[in-house]
Amino acid sequence: MDFSLLTDALSSKSYGKIADICDELMLKGAAEMEGVPFEEEWPFAIHLLAHIYVNDINSARYLWKSIPAAVKERQPEVVAAWRIGQRLWTRDYAAVHEAIRAFDWSQQIQPLVVAFSEVYTKRMFQLLLSAYSTIGIQDTALFLGMNEDDATNYVVQQGWVVDPDSRMLTSLKHYQTSTESRLIRHPLIGENSINLT
Amino acid sequence: MYTVESLVAQIQGLSSSAGDLSLLLTHLKQADEFLHNESTQLFPFLEQLDPTLHSLGYLYILEASTSGPVTNEQARRLVLLISRFLTSCVADQIRLAPEKFIAVCKSFKDQVLMLEAPVRGVVPLLEAVKKLRSSEHLTTLHPDFLQICLLAKCYKTGFSILEDDIFEVDQPRDFYLYCYYGGMICIGQKRFQKALELLHNVVTAPMSSINAIAVEAFKKYVLVSLIYNGQYYSSLAWMCILYIELANTYSIGKISELETYIQTNREKFDSDNNLGLVKQVVSSMYKRNIQRLTQTYLTLSLQDIANTVQLSSPKEAEMHVLQMIQDGEIYATINQRDGMVRFLEDPEQYKTCEMIEHIDSSIQRIMTLSKKLTAMDELISCDPLYLAKVGRERQRFDFDDFDSVPQKFNI
Repeated sequence: MDFSLLTDALSSKSYGKIADICDELMLKGAAEMEGVPFEEEWPFAIHLLAHIYVNDINSARYLWKSIPAAVKERQPEVVAAWRIGQRLWTRDYAAVHEAIRAFDWSQQIQPLVVAFSEVYTKRMFQLLLSAYSTIGIQDTALFLGMNEDDATNYVVQQGWVVDPDSRMLTSLKHYQTSTESRLIRHPLIGENSINLT
Repeated sequence: MYTVESLVAQIQGLSSSAGDLSLLLTHLKQADEFLHNESTQLFPFLEQLDPTLHSLGYLYILEASTSGPVTNEQARRLVLLISRFLTSCVADQIRLAPEKFIAVCKSFKDQVLMLEAPVRGVVPLLEAVKKLRSSEHLTTLHPDFLQICLLAKCYKTGFSILEDDIFEVDQPRDFYLYCYYGGMICIGQKRFQKALELLHNVVTAPMSSINAIAVEAFKKYVLVSLIYNGQYYSSLAWMCILYIELANTYSIGKISELETYIQTNREKFDSDNNLGLVKQVVSSMYKRNIQRLTQTYLTLSLQDIANTVQLSSPKEAEMHVLQMIQDGEIYATINQRDGMVRFLEDPEQYKTCEMIEHIDSSIQRIMTLSKKLTAMDELISCDPLYLAKVGRERQRFDFDDFDSVPQKFNI
């Protein structure tokens, strides 16, 4: 099988294209199969992660269902890749980060996993932004897959506000509308802005 | 009399121009019976032909040699041979003999299934569909391709042909199967609206007697309607009473009752292969109950949501709300400090470029569709059969309307 398209996409970090490339290659490979089943040399872990990267969990799940049991037994990395997909499927948001960290990924796959991890953290932050007006620091850390300090720094950089007493974070867009009267520190202006109270 | 050698020579000689090809077609049609009698001897001759240059001749010989029963061992060789032919043959040539092409594809599908390797059939059958179809025309290969995609779990690839509009159908059965399998592909991709549209086509198709495809489609139609609309309506109901009862239980809106009902009838749903969909119906009820709350309240505590929707804890309610926000099913913000949810309006203001493009393309599609309808209407109004029928009926009405004296009495 000719993997050059796939290796090109991997080396140029065009991770968004890999799922389509893999789909096409696999189906062509299956149609042209002679003797050796294509499953023997097929990079299932990359294929799974490529679907996961573009948030196509349906396709990842169907791919997982069609992987032969022998491959699943022999290649722990394939199982580890699906574990991420499984957490996404069940919307176990925090466990996605754990599944990413729980496996020692091979050199070829590591960059793809890292790229997904970054994209996923961004997606999670967007979700928090659209779904919460206030949220606890502990939950934020779980969603973003960081320790509490890092998570706090991350969201503060995006303009969120910390209330150290209640250990709550307030999103900027809600902070402006809900607390105009007791505005203490405007995150975009910085530490030295005027205290209005 | 023919010999295979002479036929092969003719194929090689008459495959270049359109005129040659129509001559070749006549020869091949005459030789068809001979080829079928020789079917077991034909394989070696295929090697003397090129599937691209001599597509038509190759097709005739291939069809003859696959027309008999095929053993597992032969299938192994044939699948590769046919899959290469389907990907490399020339559309213009094979369309001269569509029935032969369809026969080869059907036997290819059977062989792939016999080898229990449906994934090997996906690309070749997709190529075959593309080569055989003219625009907006449903071929008899469409449903076969979708079935193979389902068996190979290649939902995404199957979905790619469902985007095309279909306006012409040869066999009603092809259309039923296309819509049924297509509906299943959409269910797998969680494109419930499109799935409903396809299943609706089967459920409402005119048919003289009820067929199995429509019954199975109806079962899925009820379930998908519940997931997507929260209700269903229809006429096939008496065939699928189990599902109608489910819908009635659903409309009461109590999770516990729905779960009890499903638990009691679990085996029947399972034997219909609908258990997965039934489970999605349950989770859609949670969503629908939460959605209903957004129509009544502006803000509501997570505890209240948990109580009303029958969830065990405020945290669970929070996760449900969060998932719905993620999927764009409601607009709300969660305030963890106070344990409250505030429901918001849809923020879409219909003024972005994407939205305008989207609306524009919808208008274009509807305009094309409307033109098609007008053309179809004109065509039918000139159709002699239709006019004869309408003419007869009009006459009868005129007769009844204007003849005040009955011509005869039935006593």
